[in-house]
Amino acid sequence: MARYQISDSDLLFASEFLAEPIGYHSPGLQRVLNRMRGADWAFKYILVTEERHSKWRLAKLPIKRGSKVTLIEGVVYTDLLEAERDIFKRRWKDLTGQNVETLLSQSL
Amino acid sequence: MLPIVGYTNKLTAEPGETVDVMVSSFGAKSYQADFRQIIQGDTNPDGPGYQDRKIEIDLGGERKAIAKPFRPGSCVVIPAHKTFAGIKDFTLAAVVKPSLLDGRRRSIIALPGFAEIGIDENDHLTGNFSDQMLVSTLRLSNEHWHIVSLSYDSAARQLTLSIAQDRDAASEPPRPEIVSLETDLQPCMATECLIAATRGTDGEMVDYLDGKIDRPAVFDRTIAPDVLRNLLADFSLLRRQRSLLGAWDFSRKMMTQVIRDISPYQLHGRIHNAPTRAMTGWLWKGQELDWKLRPDLYTAIHFHSTDMYDAGWDMDFSVTIPDKLKSGVYSVRLVPDGNEDDAYYCVFAVRPPRGKPSGNTVAFLFPTCSYMAYANHRLAMDVPGTEIGMGRAVELDRHHMFLQENPGIGFSVYETHDDEQGVFHSSRLRPIVDMQPKVKSFLGGFGSNIWQFNADTHILGWLDAIEQDYDVVTDEDMHEDGLRLLQRYNVILTGTHPEYYTRNMVEALQGFTDRGGRLMYLGGNGFYWVVSFNEDMPGIMECRRSEAGIRPWEPGHGQFYHGFTGEYGGLWRRNDHPPNHLCGVGMTSQGFDISEPYVLGPDASDPRAAFIFEGVEGPKIGEFGLAGGGAAGLEVDRADVAQGTPEHALVLASSERHTDIYLMTPEDILDPTPDWSGTQADIIRADLTFFETIGGGAVFSTGSIAWAGAMAWNGYDNEISKITENVLKRFDQETPFKPPQ
Repeated sequence: MARYQISDSDLLFASEFLAEPIGYHSPGLQRVLNRMRGADWAFKYILVTEERHSKWRLAKLPIKRGSKVTLIEGVVYTDLLEAERDIFKRRWKDLTGQNVETLLSQSL
Repeated sequence: MLPIVGYTNKLTAEPGETVDVMVSSFGAKSYQADFRQIIQGDTNPDGPGYQDRKIEIDLGGERKAIAKPFRPGSCVVIPAHKTFAGIKDFTLAAVVKPSLLDGRRRSIIALPGFAEIGIDENDHLTGNFSDQMLVSTLRLSNEHWHIVSLSYDSAARQLTLSIAQDRDAASEPPRPEIVSLETDLQPCMATECLIAATRGTDGEMVDYLDGKIDRPAVFDRTIAPDVLRNLLADFSLLRRQRSLLGAWDFSRKMMTQVIRDISPYQLHGRIHNAPTRAMTGWLWKGQELDWKLRPDLYTAIHFHSTDMYDAGWDMDFSVTIPDKLKSGVYSVRLVPDGNEDDAYYCVFAVRPPRGKPSGNTVAFLFPTCSYMAYANHRLAMDVPGTEIGMGRAVELDRHHMFLQENPGIGFSVYETHDDEQGVFHSSRLRPIVDMQPKVKSFLGGFGSNIWQFNADTHILGWLDAIEQDYDVVTDEDMHEDGLRLLQRYNVILTGTHPEYYTRNMVEALQGFTDRGGRLMYLGGNGFYWVVSFNEDMPGIMECRRSEAGIRPWEPGHGQFYHGFTGEYGGLWRRNDHPPNHLCGVGMTSQGFDISEPYVLGPDASDPRAAFIFEGVEGPKIGEFGLAGGGAAGLEVDRADVAQGTPEHALVLASSERHTDIYLMTPEDILDPTPDWSGTQADIIRADLTFFETIGGGAVFSTGSIAWAGAMAWNGYDNEISKITENVLKRFDQETPFKPPQ
């Protein structure tokens, strides 16, 4: 069980990530991402390449080797940064039960 | 998914040699094959564009695509002919330590169709004899060795199953549990003895064990369990037993496929699918760590239901390499059902003729050991933390989906077996689905995100673009032919990540530079892990990741020495061949998100390096690229005199920062503190390094996997490409280099 739990105090890091999903991150954002991307999960959001470099579908990869990859209906990306942002939002919801975009709009 | 896959029986062939092609359908009905030279495999629209070249060789027309299965799982097969025929009384025995009990039936020792000791779905020991079965009350444990036996006494009509759990710490011998029943004698028709598997009704091997077995034996009379324990513990006593039909000491012929019987019957056998030998046995208590010094303590084999050596598919067709075909990287392309988008590429090298130099003075070193190490790797699929190291979401390409649905294809040395024991072996006698052009990967950085073979095609494409003639020499060629082959060349260029090296290879390359050869190390984290080939098993490689290094597993206590050669496994740095000595730099950090430029340092102005930077302006170089957007990244190496970098080496340029994904290697971070990361620690950098050797040779090292991705930027028209070409042109001149006085 991961020790770090994401909370409202991490909202500023959510803003940071959504502005620039890949590259240099503050230590606080890195900790949020470590929690989201680490080992403490039953499935993992992954991108199934439909067309290399141009089209990806969101899917869930179960932790057990050889398990079936489940595509999430209707979620298609044509931009990797958009995919990163969407996965971040989904994980925030999965971990906190809250919609990060709503929280961000309320905090403005 | 991949509707068709295949493999060749070799990854290197000379003109005139024949290459066999094995193909299986995974949905395709038919296929056609053609022959192509691979020029540049990256399909990134920001890159130079995919390119191959069709070679006119008639590979026949349309063929029917036949489905062929993967059959993983290792065991020992003892052909017994008629030795067991007609036995009445008997005892089957072994010492076993399972490593995975997961509800599957397992076999420990079997005379198929006659008698077998196994493990049932609830972890109990079973003894099968004809249609009778005995089951122990005791459950087997992954934590202990168990002495097990199944005996039949024909006079008493009594079948007896025994299990004693050796708890090690107890001062008294383990007390066996014994269960018996009365049954009639059955005639023995078994023509073989199998260890760690048995035969199904269709004759195929089934019920593979995940676990260790030590000293299995067969007797022609009943042996009481308390007597059995003492007999099995002493081979010299055991071999003199008149009742002994066969007993197998797995420490004999350790480096081969042969299993030796110590009984007078000489019932020798062979391993199947390369289980792991040279593993600590029942009697190992830490007395010695090197199996060569005390082989009697290394009498166990660790079997896995996921072991894979040779897929063993029937050959579909063969290709004879034309005498005039120039050396290069080629593939047999398999196009299923007329759909080129689903084509599968069986990639291999055409090396120069063994008996006659091609006349080329430049060679590309095709790193087949590193391709085998990563063969069919599942890093981001099996290792949850990989996404943290990537700093971005995991992309699964079609071949990854194939791997997910076909784990039976066998693993790379980055995986663990299902019991979490590290995978020590990787074979090329099976499809390697990630050794293809076009395929994407996990670790290749934001951008092209390609790795190993496909990333190396950035260098092949560059050689083609600058119209450089070159030969291709594989790791296996260098291992076999050594300096005899390398000495043909002025210049040798490496791939992007030549990480896995045998001793022959390290010594050949060191001998090359020592004697005037010029080495261009165009990658990162090279010459890092010790690997070994096996003289009795072509096409398979061993890697035991002892002590240090960035590694997904450890070999287990007392198991750091390779079974194939007896070499101490782990880092070359710990085996007196540090990469810094060979090429000036050694692995320092990794991160798979973004890459950085280098910044020229004072050494770049040294007149010794003037030829390198002709036509290049600084101070930043390589602020672009297909592998993370910079020339320095993914895995990076530093110059370090303490690790063997020659004191006169010039550190021409260095990357000056990386993201905090980049952390220190464990062999350097002796005392973990939170400041060893890319934004904080100066030691995390790629050093562009040059030095001369006293034999007139020279070495140019980039210390970065991302370098080649920058070479390929803007259609190979950029300063990184220019620097690389400057070095190649000078290195290809005969004029000797001279180290500074």
